[in-house]
Amino acid sequence: MHTIDIDIRGQVCPSCLLLTLREINGNSTAIRAGSADVVVVTDDRQATATIPATAERMGFCTEVERCDGAYRIRIFGSP
Amino acid sequence: MEQPFLLIIASSLVIGLVGGFVMHRSDFCVTASFRDMFLFRDFFLMRQMILLVVASMALFELGRLGGIITIYPFPLLGPPSLANAIGGFLFGIGMVLAGGCVCGSLFKLGAGSVASLLAVIGMIVGATVYAEIHPQWSAFARSTVLVENAITLPQWLDLSPTTLLLPLVVLGGFWLSRQFRAGRMVRRAFAAGHLAPWQAALILALLGFISYVLIGMPLGITATYAKIGASIESLFAPGYVQSLAYFSLQPLDYTPPFADQAIRGGPGPQLDAIAAIQYPLVLGIILGALGSALWLGEWRPYWRVPPRQIMSALIGGLLLGLASRMVPSCNVWHLWGGVPILAMQSLLFLVGLLPGTWVGAQLLTRFVVR
Repeated sequence: MHTIDIDIRGQVCPSCLLLTLREINGNSTAIRAGSADVVVVTDDRQATATIPATAERMGFCTEVERCDGAYRIRIFGSP
Repeated sequence: MEQPFLLIIASSLVIGLVGGFVMHRSDFCVTASFRDMFLFRDFFLMRQMILLVVASMALFELGRLGGIITIYPFPLLGPPSLANAIGGFLFGIGMVLAGGCVCGSLFKLGAGSVASLLAVIGMIVGATVYAEIHPQWSAFARSTVLVENAITLPQWLDLSPTTLLLPLVVLGGFWLSRQFRAGRMVRRAFAAGHLAPWQAALILALLGFISYVLIGMPLGITATYAKIGASIESLFAPGYVQSLAYFSLQPLDYTPPFADQAIRGGPGPQLDAIAAIQYPLVLGIILGALGSALWLGEWRPYWRVPPRQIMSALIGGLLLGLASRMVPSCNVWHLWGGVPILAMQSLLFLVGLLPGTWVGAQLLTRFVVR
């Protein structure tokens, strides 16, 4: 499995969602096939709601967990 | 301390602390509510904003009818002018580039955002620069007044406020209840200690109402930026600051609800009524968000902000500071205070804000986040 890491801590809102969308769109076939996932690390609390909502609307699965005062959001193809 | 000031300072500070805490916990962002409509076709936060406005409409009007809101319309509002819409347009661009409005940037700064700190510095500079163009801009604003001798829509139409506000509150309430039933007012959230935005909207409407009852006006912030800028400039060039017409204005001159004498204030560096009302509010918002972030273990400033975003935050802040003096005042004052009483200045601000936000979103996606 190939993991695409995005660290967007400290960035201006709404970079988190825009940059995540770019990675999802650029790798959607691999993510859907289960050969890649996207892992976003962000300190933007709002992104923990908007990124999963948007990714799930596009048919992907998401997981959110807290890590070290920030949040780690994983976007992947199938459970 | 003199009686009216003690009550004003204490209530402003408490309102700020609660507001900062609530906005941080719910990520209540006016900028996102407008921007995300254009950027992502996402209307979730705009629905919360409509809830805040409708709730404020109902509370302010009930307060007026019940006799506990006595100053109506509230001070500092004037007749509508084209300047309000042009200022709103620039404000919309600025808030998207800055990543938050004058109030959103404050709570994000408190929560440890370096970009918001830059935006706030930009705002102070922008508000101070406004003093240089004030004579020309105020002449333009006066010459483009659209309706003389009326501040609110009901005044202009010669109707009682209730005649216009009651149908709006009933229709708004009906629409919102349908949104609630359809599940469109809540969204799954994973942030620690999260407060639902609809709950935040109701708390913020209540804070605006308490401010109106105790202080005589809803929440306002932006004169503070000009005052801080003037205070800093005074350290280096006190004579020059005194010579600027803008800094000697005293637009606030009113008798607060629980006082027996008038108090005055303006954008100059002096500690006056504006300072008593706004400084504790600004400080409270920052400290409320700081406390909330520390409590959650999330106060971790990250200094590695991409250069394009540093520029965007500074330029956005500069535009916000300048526009907030051109309008005059900010989105919180107009959307949470003026629109609920149908102040025409505030409605015009909104008319300018929408296309401004759209332009800001275009600039953001083309030049900033790449």
